[in-house]
Amino acid sequence: MLLRNIARVSVNSAKYTALRSTAPVTMARLLAQRVPATRMFSVVTPLRHGHLKTPAPGEELKITFIEKDGNQKTFDVCEGETLLDIAQGHNLDMEGACGGSCACSTCHVIVDPDYYDAIPEPEDDENDMLDLAYGLTETSRLGCQVKMNKDIDGIRVALPQMTRNVSSKDL
Amino acid sequence: MSQVARNISIIGSGPSGLYTAYHLVKKANTIKVPINIKIWEKNPVPFGLSRYGVAPDHPEVKNCEDTFTTMFREYEELSAGFCKSLQFIGNTIVGQPSMSSATNPFENHVALKSLMQTEDVVVLSYGCNGDRRLNIPHEEECSSVFTSRQFVNWYNGQFDVALSDKFMKFDWSKVRKVGIIGNGNVALDVARLLISNQVKELWGVSDISTVALEQLNKAPIESVKIIGRRDFSHSKFTNKEYRELWELEKYGIFGNIISTEFDTLVKDIKAPSNDRVMMRRLEMSKEYLLPFDQRSKKNYKKVRPPIERAESKKHWEFDYLLSPVGINMHPGTKDLKSVTFAQNVMQKDGSLVQSDSTVTTDFDLLITSLGYKGEPLEEFGELGIQFDRSHVKNIDGRVLSNSDVPIPGLYTSGWINNGGQGVIANTMQGAFQVADRILEDMAAKPIHKKSTSNAELNTQLPNQTTWADWEEINKKELQKGKAQGKNRSKYITVDSVMNVLKTN
Repeated sequence: MLLRNIARVSVNSAKYTALRSTAPVTMARLLAQRVPATRMFSVVTPLRHGHLKTPAPGEELKITFIEKDGNQKTFDVCEGETLLDIAQGHNLDMEGACGGSCACSTCHVIVDPDYYDAIPEPEDDENDMLDLAYGLTETSRLGCQVKMNKDIDGIRVALPQMTRNVSSKDL
Repeated sequence: MSQVARNISIIGSGPSGLYTAYHLVKKANTIKVPINIKIWEKNPVPFGLSRYGVAPDHPEVKNCEDTFTTMFREYEELSAGFCKSLQFIGNTIVGQPSMSSATNPFENHVALKSLMQTEDVVVLSYGCNGDRRLNIPHEEECSSVFTSRQFVNWYNGQFDVALSDKFMKFDWSKVRKVGIIGNGNVALDVARLLISNQVKELWGVSDISTVALEQLNKAPIESVKIIGRRDFSHSKFTNKEYRELWELEKYGIFGNIISTEFDTLVKDIKAPSNDRVMMRRLEMSKEYLLPFDQRSKKNYKKVRPPIERAESKKHWEFDYLLSPVGINMHPGTKDLKSVTFAQNVMQKDGSLVQSDSTVTTDFDLLITSLGYKGEPLEEFGELGIQFDRSHVKNIDGRVLSNSDVPIPGLYTSGWINNGGQGVIANTMQGAFQVADRILEDMAAKPIHKKSTSNAELNTQLPNQTTWADWEEINKKELQKGKAQGKNRSKYITVDSVMNVLKTN
C-alpha cells in the first residue's frame, strides 16, 4: 500500500495542478501511516558515517526516512546536519549530483506535512530546482537545504520514486 | 563470489556514461556478480558535457565530477569488492563516428564490433555530437552564423574547436547586435555570456577558455535578442537560467519581453491554468520589469542596479512567434547583415501557422540554438543497430535491432538514448535506470559466453590516457588556474595534454 501510494504520486509528476489538490492528502496519509507490528522496522548500523558527527547524549534529534521500497529508517543525528548529509552518511539512495550546492534536484524529499511548516521557507534558488523535480508535491524540499534543528525533531521524509514520464519518443 | 566476472564497456565518459558506471559499481553487490568496467573516451580527458557543455559560471553543476573522481579512487570500497577493475581509456574512439575529429593525432580506434564480440555488456553513452539546423540558405556559408554547440565548445576549450579560425579570426570588435534562435537553457547560457561579456567578475574567475574570453571581450555587444518559434508559454528555458538573466541588472544589463501572450498572462498570474513553474516565471518577470523601488518582494530587491533601465546601453530581450527564413549578408562579403523572419500565428488547438508577413532585423552575429543532435556510429548499419532520427532506438535502455528486437548485451544511456534532452539530474536518473536493467539482465541470464571465450580485447593502445593521467592533468589545470586567479585553466590542445604527460 505504502509503495503503491508513493508510486502513484510520482507517476503524476508532470501534472502539478492535479497534484496540488491530491498530493498533500496522499502524502499525509502515507507519512502518517504507522508501521504495522509485523513490518521490519530497522534502525540501521551504517557502513559509512561520512562526515556525520555523533550527537552528544541527550542532544540527539530523530529523523525517519521512508525509502523507495517503503522501508523506514530512523537515525539519531546532530543539530545542523543537512538531510542530504544524513542520507548519504547512512548510505540511503539519495544522490547530490551538485554536491549539495542547490544546483540540481537529485536530493528531492517529500516532507511530512506536520513538519513542513516548521522548516524555513525555500529560497528562490531552491524553488527553481524544485521546479524540475520528479514527483513534486506541496511539501517537497531539497535535502541539501534542510538542516536539522529542535523544531523538526522527529521529522519524517519520503524519498520519491524516480519515475520518468515515458513518452513515445522513448520507444 | 564464485561467478566469473562480467566485462562491461561504456562508450563515453560524460555524465551519462559515468553515472551508468557509478550505479553499476554501487549496486553490483545486490546481484553478487563481480564486474570489470572499461570507460572509453575519444578525448584524452574525461567528463564530456560537464567539462565542455556546462556554462563556465555554473561551476556547482560540475560537482558531479567529484562523485566520478571518488568512484575511480574508491570503486572497490563502493562496490563492496564486486567491482574488480575500473579503467579509463582516453584518446580512443570506439566505432568511427561520422564526424571524426581532425585535431587529435593521438587518437586510437577500436571497432564497436570487437567490443561487442569480447565484452558481456556494451553501453552507448557517447552523447550528441551534431547540431540541429535551421536549413535555410546561407546558414553554413555566412561567417557570422554559429551553432550553439560549436560556440559553447569553443569557449569551453574543447579540443576540436578551441583554436578554430571560425572563432579566432572572427572580427568580434564589430559585434553589437546578436540574435539567438531558440530559447532553451543553452540559448540562455549563450545570451548571458554575450551580453555580460565584459563583466570581469563573472568570467575572469571562471574556467572559460582564456583565448576565447580575450576575443569575446573585444565585442561591444549592446543587444541580444532571443527568438522563439512559438509563444512565451512554450519557452524552453528553466527558471534558474531565466532568473540569472534578470539578475544581470546588477551590472546595468536589463531585459524585456515582446509577447502579447505574456502581456495577457502576467495580468492574472494566479490563474488556475498556470502551473507552478509558469506562476513563478510570470511573477519573476513582472517584478523585474518594475522599477527597483516599486517591487513588492524583497527577493527581487537584492542588489540595486547601478543605473536606471532607461540609461542602460545593454539589453537582452525575448521575442516570439518568429521563424527565420532568410540570412542576408553584406553585399560582396560573407558577413551577416540581417535575418528575415516569417511571423507565426498560434492556432487555438496549439498548432503553429507561418503567415506571409515577414520582418527583417539587423544582426552582426547569429547563434542557432536548436538543440544537440545525436549521430549514429558508422558501424551501426553493419551491426544492425537501429538509429531513429537523433537517438539510438531502445526500450528502457536496451538497444533494438533493425527488426525491433533487443540486442543482447547492448545498452544505451544519456543523450544518445533520448536524443538530447534534460539536465544532468535527468541524465543521472536515466543512467541509473539503464544500469538497473543491466543488473537485472546480468542477474537473470547465465554467464554470457564472452566471459569465458578466448577472444582478447587489446586495451594497451598507443597514446591512450589513464585515470592517473587525468588526475595529473587535473592537478596542473587547477594549479595553472590558481596562478591566474581562475578556478581552473584548461589545456585546450591535445598536444599540450600529451606534453604534460610525457614530461612527467
